[in-house]
Amino acid sequence: MSLKFLVVDDSLTMRRIVVNSLKNLGYSEFVEAADGQEALTKLDSDRTINFVITDWNMPVLSGLELTKGIRGNADFANVPILMVTTRGVKEDIIEALQAKVSNYIIKPFTPQVLKEKIDQILSAQSN
Amino acid sequence: MSNLNSMTTVFEKLTDLKNIFKFGERIVPVIQSLIEFMRDIVPLLENINLSIADSTRKIPQAANQIQNVTSATELATTEILDLVDEITNILTGIESQAVDFFKDINERVSSYEKLKEMFKDNEEVLSLVEKISPSKAAELQKTNILENIAKIKADSYQITLSLQVQDITAQQLASVNHLIESVHSKLSSLIQDIDHADLNADIKGIVMETPEGVVFDPNASYSNKEERQKEIDVLVNQSIKTTQEEVDNLFK
Repeated sequence: MSLKFLVVDDSLTMRRIVVNSLKNLGYSEFVEAADGQEALTKLDSDRTINFVITDWNMPVLSGLELTKGIRGNADFANVPILMVTTRGVKEDIIEALQAKVSNYIIKPFTPQVLKEKIDQILSAQSN
Repeated sequence: MSNLNSMTTVFEKLTDLKNIFKFGERIVPVIQSLIEFMRDIVPLLENINLSIADSTRKIPQAANQIQNVTSATELATTEILDLVDEITNILTGIESQAVDFFKDINERVSSYEKLKEMFKDNEEVLSLVEKISPSKAAELQKTNILENIAKIKADSYQITLSLQVQDITAQQLASVNHLIESVHSKLSSLIQDIDHADLNADIKGIVMETPEGVVFDPNASYSNKEERQKEIDVLVNQSIKTTQEEVDNLFK
C-alpha cells in the first residue's frame, strides 16, 4: 500500500525535517499543515491521506485535539496517527494514548525511531 | 469623707499624669528617630519605585528581543535547510554522474583488454595500449568516491536532523517570554497600586508585543538520550497490550 502522509507541525523547520526523513525512508507523498484545524480541513478534502504525523503543541487546534477530531470522525477514524512531540511527561503520554494515538515519538527524533514506529503501526494495522 | 475621697482621686490622676509625662519624655526621642528614619526611607522607597518602573519599562524590550532571536534562528535554520537540500541534490547528481563515469571506464578497460589480447604479439601496440588504458586503480577510486559521496550525504542529513534544536529552543524561548510577560504584568499592577500618576501613565503606555497563539512545552529539551524514547515505548507497549487484552476479553 502506498502511503500519503499528512505532516502537522506549527514549526516549518520541523515539517521540513520530518518530510526529509520520510523521503530518506523512501516515501514520496506528503501534505503539510501548520495546525490541527488546517490538518482536519486537508484530511476532509484529500481522502487519499492515510497516515498522520503530528506535533502536540500547536496554535488553533493542538495535536491532541486533532487526534480526538480524527478518531471522532467516521470518515477517517482509522487513519494511523503518530505523535512527534517534545512532551515526555508520563501523564501526557497516557493522555495521548487515551486519545488513541497509534504511537508516540519524543523530539528530537532519529530516523531509525521514525522508521521503527511507522513499521510498527503498519504491522499492527495489517494484523 | 467625700472631700477626702475626691482629693485621693485628684492625687491619683496627677500621679497618672506625671507617669504620662515621664513616658512622654522617654517616647519623644523614639518618635524623633522614627521621623528621621521615615525621612531617610522615603527617598529610598521612591528610588525602589523608580527602579521597578524602569525595569517594567525595559521588560517588553527584553521580550521583543527574545522573539527576534526566535525569528532570526528560524530564518537561519530555513536557510541552512535550503543549503543542505541543495548540497544533497548536487551530490545525488554527482553520484549518478560518477556511476555513469565508472561504468564507462569499466567498458573501456574491457575494450583495452580485448585490444591487448588482439595485439598480444605486438610489443609496440601493447606498450601504447598500456599507456592509454584507464588506471587499474580506477575500481578503487570508484569505491572511494562513491563511499565519500554517501558519507557527505549522510552527514548532510545528520545536519538536517540536528536542526530540530531550533524547534526545541523556540519553545524554551517562548516559555521564557511567557514568564517575562507574567513578571511584567505583576510589576505593572504593583506600579499602578503606587499612587504615582506620571509613572502610571508612562507604564500603561507600554505594550508587550509578543505574538498571539504561541503554544509551547515549558519542559522541552534537546537531548539525544535514547532512554527517554525507551521509557515512552514501555508505556505505549503497555497501553497496546492492555487494549488487546480488553479486546480479547470481549470475545471470551
